[in-house]
Amino acid sequence: MVVAGGIVAGGLALTGCGSSDASGSSGSSAAELSVKAAYMPQPVTDSMAAGYLVIENKGGAADELTSVTSDLAQDVTVHETAGQAMKQVSALQVPAGGELVLRSGGSHLMFENLKRKPKEGETVSLRLNFIKSKAITVEMPVKSATYQPTTGH
Amino acid sequence: MHTNTKMTKNTKDARKSRQTYAVGALLVAAILGLSACGSEDASTTSVVEVSETGATKVSTVLDEPFAKPDLVLTDTEGKPYDLRKETKGKPTLIYFGYTNCPDVCPLTMNNIAVAKKEVSKKLPKSELANLRIVFVTTDPERDTPAELGKWLKGIDPEIVGLTGDFDKIQAGALELHISIAPPTKDENGKTVSEHGTQVIAFSPKTDAGYVLYDKSATVQDYEKDLPKLLKGAKP
Repeated sequence: MVVAGGIVAGGLALTGCGSSDASGSSGSSAAELSVKAAYMPQPVTDSMAAGYLVIENKGGAADELTSVTSDLAQDVTVHETAGQAMKQVSALQVPAGGELVLRSGGSHLMFENLKRKPKEGETVSLRLNFIKSKAITVEMPVKSATYQPTTGH
Repeated sequence: MHTNTKMTKNTKDARKSRQTYAVGALLVAAILGLSACGSEDASTTSVVEVSETGATKVSTVLDEPFAKPDLVLTDTEGKPYDLRKETKGKPTLIYFGYTNCPDVCPLTMNNIAVAKKEVSKKLPKSELANLRIVFVTTDPERDTPAELGKWLKGIDPEIVGLTGDFDKIQAGALELHISIAPPTKDENGKTVSEHGTQVIAFSPKTDAGYVLYDKSATVQDYEKDLPKLLKGAKP
């Protein structure tokens, strides 16, 4: 399997401060993906917004998040944070038996040129596309601009 | 950079790219504890260690406070703003970021703005009147006075937004031990900018930067500390 090195590093660093490498994904069972803890902080303007979520993989094979579409914006990209800069990446790995964590300060979804400015209490529809698994539709709740999930690291 | 490089799963190599970056940001990372978890390389050990302690401690009182940078930039009205002159004797919070930043920059500024609002419910107006919250852009090309003003209006119109010559901003940031690289274009032609990771609080008594807040500081952290920062006291 071919993956982008930088992405793996970003993904691994996020998933877990020392979680095991995903390279043991030689099992024959498929990826079993589910999404949790999705939210979008209410954005400042209608020019951009960020979205966060956790993709859990209970299966024995890794998968990759390749693209995201949404009713909120034409342009949704996946970014990883490298130090203080954010870079667009082409895919993020969801390790076998692990999770891909998109969280504030780490990798995140970036929505640009919004069709509307989402407000706290609304939801934004997303469709996550993967290399192997079927696409997953997510209703992402819009939280306050200062919302921080209580669980996590 | 490395984001489009196709290679087999070799986290060592990948780490190397992260590490190269980490060295550039080491100074900042050492103070702040950037999100460097996961790396076991000896050369980044110190970063990891700080990161670990940083998780529980969001603020650091400096033994040797920073002098306020002598920065004269342009405010959101397009007028010159002399940082030292305008904030002299006033409790001041400074952050370096950019408006095309969906994640950390708006969160940081919103955290401070909401904390200020909460504190204003408890303290007399006069105590908060002197507070200066200053947002200095790290992406002056895109963050014109008008763009900055529009963005800050969505957070707290009282925040001072400053833009100007990048080299000047970079030098000012470096005096506060914040290293910021100039914006670059990625392979898709999109601008990639950097933001600082900490907020620096300056004392109204000494005009020196004496407390650092890292990016994990929450509304509650600022809310708790603001009454002390307003007096130049240690949180």
